[in-house]
Amino acid sequence: MSAGAAIALPAPAPRERGRGVAPIVALLAPIALINAVGFLAPVLNLARMSFYEVEPTGAMREVYTLATWAKVFSDGYYAGLIFDSITVSLGITLLTLLCSYPIALYLHRSSGTWRTILLVLVISPLLTSAVVRTYGWIAILAENGLVNNALATLGLAKLKLMFNATGVTIGLTEILMPYMILALLAGFGRLDPRVEEAAATLGAPPFTIFRRIILPLTLPGIALGCLLCFVLAVSSFITPKLLGGGRVFLLATEIYDEAIVTLNWPLAATLSILVLIIFGGALMLYSRALRAIL
Amino acid sequence: MSEQGFLSIRGLTKRYAAFTAVEDLDLDVPRGELVAFLGPSGCGKTTSLRMIAGLVPATSGRIVVDGKDLTEVPTHRRDMGLVFQSYALFPHMSIARNVAFGLEMRKVPKDEIARRVKEAIALVHLTGKEEHRPTQLSGGQQQRVALARALVVRPSILLLDEPLSNLDAKLRDEMRNEIREIQQRLGITAIFVTHDQGEALTMCDKVVVMNQGRLEQLGTPVDLYERPRTAFVASFVGRTNRLASVAKDGSVEIAGQRIAAPAGLSGPVEVMIRPHRIAFAPAGEGVPGTIAKAVFAGDILQYDVEVAGQILSVELATRGGETVLSPGTAVGLSWRPQDVFVYGAAA
Amino acid sequence: MDERPASLPLKLGALVMFAFLLAPLIVVVPISFSGDAYMMFPPSSWSTKWYPAIFADGKMAAAFWTSLVLATVVTVLSLAIALPAAFALVRLKPPGAEALSSFFTAPLLLPTIVLGLAILIVFARLGLLATFPGLVAAHLVVTLPYALRVLATALSTLPIAVEEAAATLGASPFTVFRRITLPMMKSGLVGTTALCFLVSFDEVVLSLFMTGPRIQTLPVAMYHHVEQQADPLVAALSVLLVALTLIVVLVVDRTSGLAKTFVK
Repeated sequence: MSAGAAIALPAPAPRERGRGVAPIVALLAPIALINAVGFLAPVLNLARMSFYEVEPTGAMREVYTLATWAKVFSDGYYAGLIFDSITVSLGITLLTLLCSYPIALYLHRSSGTWRTILLVLVISPLLTSAVVRTYGWIAILAENGLVNNALATLGLAKLKLMFNATGVTIGLTEILMPYMILALLAGFGRLDPRVEEAAATLGAPPFTIFRRIILPLTLPGIALGCLLCFVLAVSSFITPKLLGGGRVFLLATEIYDEAIVTLNWPLAATLSILVLIIFGGALMLYSRALRAIL
Repeated sequence: MSEQGFLSIRGLTKRYAAFTAVEDLDLDVPRGELVAFLGPSGCGKTTSLRMIAGLVPATSGRIVVDGKDLTEVPTHRRDMGLVFQSYALFPHMSIARNVAFGLEMRKVPKDEIARRVKEAIALVHLTGKEEHRPTQLSGGQQQRVALARALVVRPSILLLDEPLSNLDAKLRDEMRNEIREIQQRLGITAIFVTHDQGEALTMCDKVVVMNQGRLEQLGTPVDLYERPRTAFVASFVGRTNRLASVAKDGSVEIAGQRIAAPAGLSGPVEVMIRPHRIAFAPAGEGVPGTIAKAVFAGDILQYDVEVAGQILSVELATRGGETVLSPGTAVGLSWRPQDVFVYGAAA
Repeated sequence: MDERPASLPLKLGALVMFAFLLAPLIVVVPISFSGDAYMMFPPSSWSTKWYPAIFADGKMAAAFWTSLVLATVVTVLSLAIALPAAFALVRLKPPGAEALSSFFTAPLLLPTIVLGLAILIVFARLGLLATFPGLVAAHLVVTLPYALRVLATALSTLPIAVEEAAATLGASPFTVFRRITLPMMKSGLVGTTALCFLVSFDEVVLSLFMTGPRIQTLPVAMYHHVEQQADPLVAALSVLLVALTLIVVLVVDRTSGLAKTFVK
């Protein structure tokens, strides 16, 4: 649950009377406190922790060292982890886009009660716990699940759809679809039906209208949706954990294991910072893509 | 059946679940003419235009252009140019790319595209704006781009859907003349949808007046104004006085005067006289009335005159030196018989 | 009248993708009525035994109540903290309001796995791990940005003239807020309440870092249960949770409009 957030603050009516600073401070103090204790301090502490020393026994000492960072960059295991996380997330992002685009376009074209119903169908999964939806995928993909029992009934060989990257990809694609659909929908604002009609009257057949008009006009929405889904895919871990069954190793699952099982907090902290660095890279690519589009 | 026009429409009908937007429209447009579809909003004029363009499938009827039946042909193969009310320019393309789009669809060679785009942009006086985006242009300039984009492909028919309604008054007059001038210069057949009778009368060769999905009258601007066939046309095109009366024995009485009623008409009728076709009669003559209200509007004098319990609006062109009659003054009114229209009243 | 209709290929594509999107939510319904001891689809026999089993399972029942109380407390606190903050940012417009609101909504930009780890390390030192106050604080970190965002939007779209009219009629600033502003923000308040409640009730990543044997939330209990064995008990629970979500979504749609709350 981390949709891109920014509050648009329109200019308020001019205030003639001067106001004291005290009420503003009083009104903002509680949220500032929660933010400081629950967000700012922990994150700064996390960055610091990645430089702490870990003794061979596993105990942590408050001595600064680059050992953890060196280990992450020299150990092939972590390089593979980073590479896998990025490629799997990219694949999931692309699949999510392909699956979400028809729904978003159809939603954009519908209106009235029908549109509301469809919107409920998109938003309800978004607000349903990832555990519930992952469980649903287990029921579909498991050895005794819907797909494999259907295959067996047809006399076909069962497929291994769980406890591997395939299951994680299918599950995460579906789980991220609502985010992509909403991002696409927000970006479809520029899509004026009259503009599509104009292209048709000028001689463009349906597919050309899609390629030359609809697709370029929806690129900003596509870029935003892809950024959001990539970021969520890299950092998701409930679904990889349950559908991967401990056999799919990604950055996020590794962070959890190091933090909770191995209790190597400096290593977990270092990997977390790495995730943030990947985010930064994605964000940079996004703003570059956006500049190229607009 | 009458002679087939360049554009020939027969029995064109569009029914939606709840209502009929266009009913049984027959129309022939000769090559090179500019025809207006005129009517109030919801009269079916835009739906008719969209059916001609193929954007709305017709429920029944046929659309034939230059002998080719286009009824089942999809929009992109109809070869028509449509100028949208909202212009519908491609926001992600430059002006030049917008104008080139239709030519690219027709696989015109690159150098010819460049030449024709340049010509079309010059035609609408936008040379120098080729690389601008639509949002960087004013409303009037966007309108010109839309026109150039529709014209550059040399469409068989140019369709214009309320093209001037988003412009301010001054620009509207300017574009009105420009569109007419370009249409005549290129000799292109065009249909112009509008709710503004001024546009229809001043720009077009013929006008189709529509109301509630039906064609009320097709004729030249003079026809419509001087010989309106229905009460709707008489009141929609130009301003008019509407008086209620009753037809009996082949004649109608208004304000103590009897005038001949159209053959076969009896019962309640509506009588219409245009305000500026009423004149003040010399003292003691004409239909007696009393001034109820006087307004001096510069070029005209407007009077509300009470005649036999009904109010008649009278407009007199000013020449200078008139005295404005004050309310309560007794006057005599006169008009020519051919300026009085009589229609059966709607039930 | 003349909306551009969806073409047949688009309709088909959307239909298939909707089926894919909803498949995991739909499939849990038949499984929740399974008579089998373990999860398989289609079930070999039918029964309603899994629904009472939720409450017979002491761990699940306790986790359910923990989550319910937690979500309620978090929602109330979110409103109580975010509403004054939104008012201060939108109406009193202190210098740097934009920067402040970016800062207050920043936790949403951080992946929850990173946030969870960061909070774990600090809260461990403060002795807040596996405690109810610790869970409340952790959840507030993620619900407050949502609450602030929705409430600030609601507040900034209100016509100020109405409040000024009330003031000219003699209402004090506090009365104006209570009698005019608050009622007009109803849809924003409902949206915030629904969003905070669901986010807290469904939150699993932060909770995984924060809970222990002493205290568990429902999603965490479900996660551990599925990790061990995927039996139909979870399906029955899932059906209840999906129904809960659906009710909340419909309430939001009735009061404030789905599109307005979720699609910017």
